[in-house]
Amino acid sequence: MTERSVAYLYHRQNKKEVEVVFIDGVDRTDVAKAQESWHKLLKDTKSEHAHWNWNEKYQLVAEAPLAYRIFGLEAEGQMQGLMLVWTAGKFCRIESQKGKPLIYIDYLATAPWNSADVIAEPIYAGVGKVLIRAAVQLSLEDELQGRIGLHSLPQAESYYRDNCKMTDLGQDKAYYGLRYFETTPEQSASFIRG
Amino acid sequence: MKLKMTKEWLMKNLDKEDKAIVSAGSFSCSKLDALDELVQRHAAKEVGAVVPAFGRLISLSRRNKGLTPEKLAEQARIDLDELVSIEQVPNYIPEPRTVCQLAQVLNLSEDKLMELSGNTVSRDQKLKDGAVKFVASAQSLDKLSRDEKRALEDFVKQLSK
Repeated sequence: MTERSVAYLYHRQNKKEVEVVFIDGVDRTDVAKAQESWHKLLKDTKSEHAHWNWNEKYQLVAEAPLAYRIFGLEAEGQMQGLMLVWTAGKFCRIESQKGKPLIYIDYLATAPWNSADVIAEPIYAGVGKVLIRAAVQLSLEDELQGRIGLHSLPQAESYYRDNCKMTDLGQDKAYYGLRYFETTPEQSASFIRG
Repeated sequence: MKLKMTKEWLMKNLDKEDKAIVSAGSFSCSKLDALDELVQRHAAKEVGAVVPAFGRLISLSRRNKGLTPEKLAEQARIDLDELVSIEQVPNYIPEPRTVCQLAQVLNLSEDKLMELSGNTVSRDQKLKDGAVKFVASAQSLDKLSRDEKRALEDFVKQLSK
C-alpha cells in the first residue's frame, strides 16, 4: 500500500526549500520510471551505484513485503531519491546495542541530477538526510528505538561518519569490504532533534 | 508511514554548499555480480599470472607516483596491511572496495583492475597475455628501473584500451 506525505528538499539553483512528496511504498511503475531515467544519465559515469537496477531491488519488496519496504522522494514528477530497507532479521553490531534488532538500509541513492559525482551542479540537496530521517522514524515506530545500520559505498563514507554522525564500525570483510555504520538510540535522537 | 519533518529541521541540518555523495548499499562494479561473487572468486584462482600482475601493477604505479605504502593507503582510505598483502602476497585477492579505491587514486581502469585482482573472471586473452609478460618482467622491487618503467607504461596503456 502506498502512503504519501509532505517532505522538504532544498533546491540549490532557486536557493530555497521546496515541498516534495515522501512516498512509503513506491509502486512498481514509479520504480521502473526512476530506473529508466536514472540509468540514462548514470550508465556512462563512474558513479559507484551506476549499475544498480532498482527494478530488481523492487522485486525483493514484491517477494517479501513483510521484510522489505521501499521509500521515495518525488518532486517535479521525478523520483529524487529511493531507499530500500530491511525491517527484520538484522541486528546491531555496536557494542552497547549488540544483538538488538535494527532497521537496515539495504540501498539508498539519489537521482543522478542530485549527485555531485554525476553533474557539477546538483539540483536538490537533502535527499540523503530526509531518507535517513525516514529510516530512523521507521525504527522508532517499530519500537527499535531509532537503531539503523547500513553499508556505505566508498564515496559516501565521510557523509555517514561526519555529516550523519553514525558510528563507523570499520570494513566489513564479509560484505565487499565496505564500511559498516550504525546508530545508537542516542545518536538517532540527536539526529532527529537536529 | 507519514514522514514527520519540518522545513526548519531540513534547513538546520543542511549545509547548502555540501555536495556529499550519499549512496549506501552493496558494491557495484560493472562486471561484479553479487550473487556469483563466491563462484567468481573460486574461478579466479585459476587465472594464473593475472592476480600476481595486480600486485606488481599497484606496487610500480605507487612508486611511479613517488608514494610510500603508507601514503597510498592513506589516500585510498584502505588499511596498510591490505596494501602490503596486495603488493607482496602473489595470490592475495583484495576486497572490491579496496580495488576501486586504488583505481581512483592511481587513475587506472576500475573494471580491468577488478579482473586483474581476481574479483571478476578475466575473459580477455590479451589482458592475460599482457599480465604474464608484465609479471615475467619483474626484477628488483627496490628501484623502478627504466625497463620496469617501460613495462609499467606499456601495461597501463593496455589497460586503457
